[in-house]
Amino acid sequence: MIRAAALTRDFGDLRAVDQISFEVQPGEVVGFLGPNGAGKTMVLRMLSTYLTPTAGELSVAGHDVVASPLEVRRSIGYLPEHDALFDGMRVRAFLEFCGRAHGLDEAALQARVAALVERCDLSRVCDQLVGTCSKGYRRRVSLAAALLHDPKVLLLDEPTHGLDPLQVAAFREHVAELREGRAVLFSSHVLAEVTATCDRLLLLHHGRLLIDERTEVLTERADSEGKDLEGLILDAVRSPHEEASA
Amino acid sequence: MRAIRLVAGRELRALFDAPVAYVATVASLLVVLSLFSTEFFLAARLDLTPLFRWIPAAAAVLLPALAMRLWAEERRRRTFELWVTLPLSAAEVVLGKFLAGMGIWLLFLLGTSPAVLLLYALGDPDGGLILSSYLGAILLGALLLAQALFLSSLTREVVVAFLTGCAGSVLFLASGAPALTAILDGLTPELAPGSLVAAHLSALLRYDSFCAGYIGLGESAWLLGTAAVFLALNTWTVRNIRD
Repeated sequence: MIRAAALTRDFGDLRAVDQISFEVQPGEVVGFLGPNGAGKTMVLRMLSTYLTPTAGELSVAGHDVVASPLEVRRSIGYLPEHDALFDGMRVRAFLEFCGRAHGLDEAALQARVAALVERCDLSRVCDQLVGTCSKGYRRRVSLAAALLHDPKVLLLDEPTHGLDPLQVAAFREHVAELREGRAVLFSSHVLAEVTATCDRLLLLHHGRLLIDERTEVLTERADSEGKDLEGLILDAVRSPHEEASA
Repeated sequence: MRAIRLVAGRELRALFDAPVAYVATVASLLVVLSLFSTEFFLAARLDLTPLFRWIPAAAAVLLPALAMRLWAEERRRRTFELWVTLPLSAAEVVLGKFLAGMGIWLLFLLGTSPAVLLLYALGDPDGGLILSSYLGAILLGALLLAQALFLSSLTREVVVAFLTGCAGSVLFLASGAPALTAILDGLTPELAPGSLVAAHLSALLRYDSFCAGYIGLGESAWLLGTAAVFLALNTWTVRNIRD
């Protein structure tokens, strides 16, 4: 469903993403973990077609992100790190606009909007201007907009950033429901969030993919080395520094 | 076409959600109609020349004010990312935004209709001349809006977008001003750079021919073609410029 091969992205002399390769299959929830500046957002932005790769291959649902960006956009639901919402629109009108942009016909659109208002618990703010919604509601509006067209691939960039613990718990349940038949890729720099939600973990650091492993395998490896998972991750992140300074 | 209509409708509503469209449109209208009335009653002539003389100046301020909201504001608020990740092509988004801006420009021109009604109330003006002048104003607006939109897409600073849009408009208008042409021609008479610039760059000269009652294919094609070039450049920037 998602396939990256030697994916690279440069910004001038800076290599933000360095030849990373991975795949995400339908039904899989994969977490992108890494410290700030690791390149997680860059990869998601390339998958969303916002950025183009400098080198390598990247495809979503069989469509190349450079050659067929519109097909890719039709296949994905994208929740960017910073909510990209039209503050001057009412929540329902915004959702309807996004649905129409995805080509939903009026009957399907109204049904989907009603279902997502219910599912994302937006009924209280439905007729409110987006700009007047709290951070938590804005995140939920973004998530609802990303789900409107029932995408095959979900890209969630720091989806729980700014949410309170109750909202985070609700989000985890939500992701568990969404995995059916979908490839879900979400980024976070919070290990607990990734391990609680994901089947597989991709650890990114300085644009390089350090770990691509199933969560339970990593937990077993940490146990066998007498560490907790956090210790294992921290060691993996620190070791390139040590190699560089050696 | 459906996507362009969708974008245009959203942007037209958004322009009216913000006070800038109301303020800029109403203020420009008041200024233009006041200047027209003053000249009209002083000259006591039954024509709209004073109105159409001031319309380019209004366009040079009003259209960049709209354009700064249409792109620079989107980049500042990060809603640009939404536009370029929805399944809409860059050309559809650019054309939709352009049509929304043209919608406001047509409303502005409609707002000058009291001057036309006044003329018809007082006598029997030349209807053909009025129509050709309005057509010129529409085409001039299309060009100035397209260039201001392109410049707006290059920055996330709305003030910079507005000022560069105004500067671009002034370039297209002043390059055909007789005084400037004469000054530039006087610098090197054998090359006549003022006339050269006016011939190739002046939107004002083309617009003036419409205001003289001449609807020329060449003038129309030049105004529309130059607007199309800026829309194509705008499409390129939307595809390629990223924050």
